[in-house]
Amino acid sequence: MYMASNSNGDRGQNWEVQLRKGCLEMAILANLWQSRLYGLEILRALSGKSQLEVAEGTLYPILSRLKAEGLLDSEWVEAEAGHPRKYYWLTPSGRRRAREMAEAWNEFSERLTVLVQPIVGTPRAGGKER
Amino acid sequence: MTAAPVSDLRIETYMNRLESALRGVSPEYRNDILREIRAHITDSAEHGVDYAGAVDRVLRLLGTPEDLAARYSTECQLERASRSFSPWLILSTCWQWAKLGIKGTLAFFVAVIGYGLALAGTASVFLKPFSPRLGFWSGPEGFGIIVPDHPTVMHEWLGNYFIPVIAAAVFMFAIGTTQLLRRMMRKRTPGLSIPSQIQNLVCL
Repeated sequence: MYMASNSNGDRGQNWEVQLRKGCLEMAILANLWQSRLYGLEILRALSGKSQLEVAEGTLYPILSRLKAEGLLDSEWVEAEAGHPRKYYWLTPSGRRRAREMAEAWNEFSERLTVLVQPIVGTPRAGGKER
Repeated sequence: MTAAPVSDLRIETYMNRLESALRGVSPEYRNDILREIRAHITDSAEHGVDYAGAVDRVLRLLGTPEDLAARYSTECQLERASRSFSPWLILSTCWQWAKLGIKGTLAFFVAVIGYGLALAGTASVFLKPFSPRLGFWSGPEGFGIIVPDHPTVMHEWLGNYFIPVIAAAVFMFAIGTTQLLRRMMRKRTPGLSIPSQIQNLVCL
């Protein structure tokens, strides 16, 4: 149900899908850090801000599990659309979890950035490559 | 915005199928899911210019009603089973999980083989008193827990220790299989071994 938003050949793409999948829960929690959102808003925030193209058939069951785990809570709110929408927000333990994940992510990504620096980073100065 | 017809035969068919696919779920939870999915379909389709196309698209992205229902119960069950020591819950969860992909299929095979061998070992421990020739043999007739036709050409390994040794092996094997599967379930999404305090009624 995942779609990588750009293609770099089969193997690369598969790896990228796995990576995005692994980040999905953190991204969901992060999107709810500042505001209450309903499913479609979360979906749009995910594909807009973080380029995580998630199919709705994947998102809703995950939201339901995160709620069952006590990380999210939800409430039905009457909307001007004429039908109620189910809004989600982080519970205190959800906020704690989001912070833990964000910190772990920061540390991890900083190290990896350093690691890949020689590959993608600084423009080759001094023609060392030859 | 034109007032789009919110009820649509395709939507109703989808919702009916989803409802029956969620039959195993508690009514309260089921209604909540149905309401949320319907709200989602309505929201996604209403804002589109091409209403029929938008309905098609959102139904496709939701997956078949049966897949969607399976996802709901699997998400919940995997969470619960990864904390459980019950082979039955683990096995049935793996079966659900297997329907969703390769990793689940692999887990299911591990479960079937692991628990199957443990069960066979247990059976042999109980059968030993009734069939004394049953033992751990090796030779031309084969290798393993068997009842040989010609014991003279075979070698028996465990003798009187058959029952305690096989019982201990079964125990270790069952524990090992359980631990392996629990780990597979928790590894399913990286970074998700959260201590959950609420395991509420929403799960089947």
